[in-house]
Amino acid sequence: MYEFSPVAPRVARVRKRYRDTKPKVCIERFKLVTEFYQNHPTLPPMIKRARNLLNLCERMPVVVHEDEFIVGELTSTYHGSALFPEYAIGWIFDEIRSGELLNRTLDPYDMDQEDIDYVMQFEDFWSKNDLSRLTDDALPPEFHDIVGNGIVTFGDKGTGAGPVGHFCANYDKAIRKGFSAIKREAQEKIDLMKGRLYGEDAQREQFYYAVTIVCDAAITLSKRYAAECRGQAAECGDEGRRAELIEMAEALDWIMQNPARTYHEAVQCLYLYQIVLSLDGNLHGLTFGRVDQYLNSFYESDLAAGRITRERAQEILDLFCLKVAEMNKIWPSFATMAAGGYTSGQLITVGGIKKDGTDATNEVTYMLLECARRLALHDPPMSLRIHEGTPDKLWDIAVETTRACGGVPTFESDKVIIPALLDRGLSLESARNYCLIGCVEPGGCGDDWPANGGPGQETFWRIPGAVLLAINNGENPMPRPDGQPQRQTGLPTGYLYDMKSFDEVLEATKKQIEHFIDWHVSFCSVREYVARHHMPLPVVSATMDGCLESGKDVMYGGAKYNGTGFAGVGIGTATDSLVAIKYMVFDRKLCTAREFYDALMANWEGHETFRQRIMKEIPHYGNDLDYPDEIAEWISKVITEKVRSCTGPRGNHWSAGLYPVATHVAWGKMTWATPDGRRTGEPLSDGISPIQCMDTSGPAATLKSALRIDHRHSANGTLLNMKFHPKALEGGGKDKLIALIKTYFDLDGMELQFNIASSEMLRDAQLHPDAHKDLVVRIAGFSAYFVELHKGLQDDVIRRTELDLA
Amino acid sequence: MSSDPAGTIYDIQGFSVQDGPGIRTTVFLKGCPLRCPWCHSPESRRFDIQLSWQSRRCIGTAVCGLCLVSCPRGAIVPAEGSQSTDTEDGLQLIRVDWDTCDDCGLCAAECPAGALSMWGKRYTVSEVVDRALRDRPFFEKSGGGVTISGGEPLSQAEFTLALLRALKENGLHTALDTTGFAPWAVVEKALPHVDLFLLDLKNMDGRAHNAAVGVPNQPILENARGIAAAGGKMQIRIPVIPRFNDSGGNLRALGKFVAELGEAVTLVQLLPYHALGVPKWERIKHDGPILEATAPSDKKIGELKAILEEYSLTIQVH
Repeated sequence: MYEFSPVAPRVARVRKRYRDTKPKVCIERFKLVTEFYQNHPTLPPMIKRARNLLNLCERMPVVVHEDEFIVGELTSTYHGSALFPEYAIGWIFDEIRSGELLNRTLDPYDMDQEDIDYVMQFEDFWSKNDLSRLTDDALPPEFHDIVGNGIVTFGDKGTGAGPVGHFCANYDKAIRKGFSAIKREAQEKIDLMKGRLYGEDAQREQFYYAVTIVCDAAITLSKRYAAECRGQAAECGDEGRRAELIEMAEALDWIMQNPARTYHEAVQCLYLYQIVLSLDGNLHGLTFGRVDQYLNSFYESDLAAGRITRERAQEILDLFCLKVAEMNKIWPSFATMAAGGYTSGQLITVGGIKKDGTDATNEVTYMLLECARRLALHDPPMSLRIHEGTPDKLWDIAVETTRACGGVPTFESDKVIIPALLDRGLSLESARNYCLIGCVEPGGCGDDWPANGGPGQETFWRIPGAVLLAINNGENPMPRPDGQPQRQTGLPTGYLYDMKSFDEVLEATKKQIEHFIDWHVSFCSVREYVARHHMPLPVVSATMDGCLESGKDVMYGGAKYNGTGFAGVGIGTATDSLVAIKYMVFDRKLCTAREFYDALMANWEGHETFRQRIMKEIPHYGNDLDYPDEIAEWISKVITEKVRSCTGPRGNHWSAGLYPVATHVAWGKMTWATPDGRRTGEPLSDGISPIQCMDTSGPAATLKSALRIDHRHSANGTLLNMKFHPKALEGGGKDKLIALIKTYFDLDGMELQFNIASSEMLRDAQLHPDAHKDLVVRIAGFSAYFVELHKGLQDDVIRRTELDLA
Repeated sequence: MSSDPAGTIYDIQGFSVQDGPGIRTTVFLKGCPLRCPWCHSPESRRFDIQLSWQSRRCIGTAVCGLCLVSCPRGAIVPAEGSQSTDTEDGLQLIRVDWDTCDDCGLCAAECPAGALSMWGKRYTVSEVVDRALRDRPFFEKSGGGVTISGGEPLSQAEFTLALLRALKENGLHTALDTTGFAPWAVVEKALPHVDLFLLDLKNMDGRAHNAAVGVPNQPILENARGIAAAGGKMQIRIPVIPRFNDSGGNLRALGKFVAELGEAVTLVQLLPYHALGVPKWERIKHDGPILEATAPSDKKIGELKAILEEYSLTIQVH
């Protein structure tokens, strides 16, 4: 078994501080951005965003905490949360007024009263100027006609919030090239065109100018941290710490501006660029990419030169991971139900193959997994790329890590993902260099703008809703929040009781699916159009391959590769729903279509025996049975074909995916009863997983069912969550789990993730949270400390079929 | 296949990881000649198809009650008060009068929630083989295969032999999980088609054995010797049952016996008693005494393991 190294005392102290500190909202960023936006109302957005960032890098407090070696903060307080008013802030004013902000049960935060008072002064200003409002204002009136359809998750006011995020900047370039060289390159482009701006050159020049400003911003911040370290060194009585602070200062003075020279500098640069990106960009799925590939050459050369030991390198990486874990962003209270646990999605990818096709595993690969396992960290989340040559030792540590730390890492198959990305148009080298973005979305590492849902917010699409509309003449049976019935928002495809055959049901479902994918794409296109105008990203574009070459920001299609991701939720529920109609009404004729329809529309009230009979009798997806699995295959094909035919504003094709973060619980609450016997408000199925507890034939059968879905054409990711009883991994169980994953990948499965936990243990954790403070579980798209999750999500994890075996 | 015999099976589990090497599909046959009071799958003991009642699934007689009217013998009656621990309070559940029930299955056919269901179903050999072959990719990667378990699979000799033959014809690894209590003639016929026997040995004291489980140990021990002599491979499984077979003396006798089987034995597994099977007894008609004991301590198991190790055996604790 893999032997994990001990945790250094300093690392243990920092970890304790992290786990013991209640996060606090800090308004430093809010103050600076508000002041800047109020003083510069007329700056063109490209320059405004660049200068806003420069202003932040010049004036944000620089804080170096005790015991820190890797530095950088978004707040003045330890483990604090910054505010991002220019993106979406309306919710905080509401929560302050209702008192909810300081009384949350999930993801609780502190905030000082004087800070609350300060923020409240600007409600009027920001409610007219944040991106959410600007998006609302830009939506043409016809969008309001589809509000309440139950499929597309936006269309109403305030739902345009959240971008920009879900991408992987080119950290490797920041580390190896430095911002001085990048600035020089932008300046050379300007010099070539100055005094002769033809065609679109003016726009390009604005972009290059913005890049020069953000390069200055990045360098400025680094030098301010260097000065802070020097200042602390001067006053430090401890000789060892003083020397360390000077070492930190020297690194910070050098990096960002210049190429990193050592492992320490590379790690510090990686982290500080992340801080700069986050100061600009809303900290939403800002993905680190292939950290083991960025760092290993520095580690090896330091080791060869005798500048570092394995222990020291591990300690630095531990401190880096803890810094990432500390970063968090306060979400609206309602969002914590869907993605609680202070998660920020700064995903790290390890393993896989290199650009030349050889195994990419290195010492940093192991060290990163050691960070997660030894420190029981769910943040940063990690994905492990698997290929034929993945070493046994890496398999070993990966399974040991996920055993202790649910869902860390997720397992991803190069065999499927690389061809899927080649299909998207990536070069062989770029495809081989992919990383996972946000939760489980494959994308290029530093050369791809895969923008989920346009501006980079996950945009979920509820598949079961399409089935409901298909059999209810395009009307969502879920009443509006005010209790009034919904309008007809979908196509008038008729009612179930008028349908003469199951083919008619399928035809109606296909029409609704295609109709609402088109609406979904339309909405995302408007959102992207608005967002790119107001929120260009020169700080990302500065490193992203393709942008300096083309003179275009990533938001304008400047990256070398472009895509738009789609996330379908609840294919298991949708499949079993269609199966139920087919089996009960048309094949077995156990009831009439009218009886079925009436019971469903009554939310099964007064029809409990009928509901039970449906759940008991129908063949369920997830058991390797052709009857349901053919329908799952059909749904996935209808969705992927339609999604792949759509194009986005950057001339790119959309790519399909099937994953939910954890919205299957939250959106289950907003979804009417479904034909599979699910009652109104109960969770939907997650990812491509079967409905919770309906996979009764064991994991091999579950995987065989999941393989009926076309993974290769789901380039935006699939997600399959499995829960094993700890006993299943005892004895030879670990090797068998590895064989299970290998077989799934051999058969063209894309992604797997595991919780190794017993239901008894999880129930005990609900009752005695303090005794299980460090229990990490995977929910769907992310991992979190179990005790920090919404009860609905906790129950969802418990309810999953436990594969504990004979 | 000219004939396709059928057998009574109560479960087929995919990805069974404790019943032999690799990822396995385990077929559980119904019926056993032994009556071990610690049995953790009491539903496997009777040879016929029998009723099972799971209160947790019942939705109550207020909305349902179909079973009450379905039973021609009046064996299903409303329970006194709510007996459910998992469902909401106040649900009026039912009770099965096991003395009156004849396992006809009419209530299970009516029960929409699956609270009343039947343990056991007839499968033909080809149906089982088709099911197993679906898992073939997983067997290949892991060095797994199919385990036939029970109950006592050799009690349904014709079916089990035909199934073993068919599995081998399809090139699958086979394991036979057996009490060893079967005529040698049956074991001998199975031998060429079994890659690995998972053989239970419980107590070397024949009288104690007979008293506790209702059959003598002599045929079992002779079969073990016979398998070894014929070149078969065995994993020996020893359930550790408090006050029945957990004495040092018994373990020494077992160790000596197993050591004499020589290279035929690839592994000896100690299976400490656990009470997880006890709730299952509540679901079916009782057919013998039930042992409710405390699980042996890790220390105790460690001591027993040390005894067996004196005989140069490879021991694994489950």
